[in-house]
Amino acid sequence: MHGTPEQLIACHECDLLMTRVANKPNEDVICPRCHARIFYTSINSIERLLALSVAGLILFIPANIFPILSLQVFGQSQSEIILQSALSLFDGGLVLVALLILLFAIVVPLFQQVILFYISFTLHYRREGRLLRQAMHAYQHLRGWGMLEIFMLGVLISIIKLKDIADLHIGLGLYSLAALIVVTTLSSVFFNPHQIWHQIDLRRQKRATDDR
Amino acid sequence: MTDKPRFKSARESGYLLCIDCEKLHPLSLEGELCDRCGARLHSRVPNSMNLSWASLIAAVILFLPANMLPIMTFKSFGQGEPSTILGGILHLLDQDMLLIGLVVLFASIVVPVLKIIAMTILLCTVQFRLQTNLRQKTLMFRIIEWIGRWSMLDIFVIGILVALVQLGNIAHIEGNDGATAFAVVVLLTMFSAIIFDTRLIWDNGVTDLPSDNSDEKDTP
Repeated sequence: MHGTPEQLIACHECDLLMTRVANKPNEDVICPRCHARIFYTSINSIERLLALSVAGLILFIPANIFPILSLQVFGQSQSEIILQSALSLFDGGLVLVALLILLFAIVVPLFQQVILFYISFTLHYRREGRLLRQAMHAYQHLRGWGMLEIFMLGVLISIIKLKDIADLHIGLGLYSLAALIVVTTLSSVFFNPHQIWHQIDLRRQKRATDDR
Repeated sequence: MTDKPRFKSARESGYLLCIDCEKLHPLSLEGELCDRCGARLHSRVPNSMNLSWASLIAAVILFLPANMLPIMTFKSFGQGEPSTILGGILHLLDQDMLLIGLVVLFASIVVPVLKIIAMTILLCTVQFRLQTNLRQKTLMFRIIEWIGRWSMLDIFVIGILVALVQLGNIAHIEGNDGATAFAVVVLLTMFSAIIFDTRLIWDNGVTDLPSDNSDEKDTP
């Protein structure tokens, strides 16, 4: 066996070897054995990712600096930004839990938007992009670890839990968070690793022939 | 029944797939770097079974303190006591908050238990070379892999409540050690699923084309 024939592909979930078939845009190629989606073509995915990551980066600011909830009891009031849910646990001694909230609700989602912006900007404007491979690995390994939507459900549950004992007000931060979740969800839909790796490959080959 | 078309894995045919960028390479490149994405190439994830078993067993052990230790304490005018995960859920159900009681029950207890059971089934399938219902098992894996992260819900709720309810003597919520144990359970079950290589399920599996599938193409 020498070389890798271009017409072969393998399923990443069950390792079935298949011949490559041509698929139309928006048509998925499904593994006949385990039914995993092997690849698909998305239209304008880089441009969409660029737009979404810019929107995500902008929304990230109000989502994190404005209060998500505020509470009033007996004239005392208290409001909360996302970061405080990690900080107050840290103060209470639950360091590991605080760290996980910090990672899953702030650091990972931010990092994902930055990486996505870098990837889509570099590919769209044909910049050099020395870190493209690392960025792709990072994004693919971070998938599933950004948990904004779960945090959001946590906020809703907290509201219901507290509504009988206190006056609660929803802050601008929560609306921004909701919008940010829409953006991050859409960008994970449009992120098509197959297509991006293929583009990275083409760029590399082109650079190799240019150098010659 | 002569010469039925046969499913053949890339490994059996002398290829390996880069799991990071899904480029196909000759099997002889095992341990080398992928020329497209730079990841180390392995036909199967190294030590997948050991690591997956280890983190699953650790999760099962920690599941006990996670459910027996209190996760948070609500105090109002000096009164109130610590509550466990189950205690919190029962409290919600008591107060006629049926819907969110069920949501928390689902995220904090049903999902982790189902995930532990499902991972055990999958690991046993590979360990003992079981060959039944492989497609259903793969589907089960996809479901638990997607749903497992929702178990973090209770952890976020604790964080939000502790940050918000800090009104000194009037009302005050603090987190307890059960929350740490529970967070680690969620982490370990997620890791167990991530490190599990689904291709192992199919390595000892059925090789004949299933009959319900005659319309599909692509067998070399």
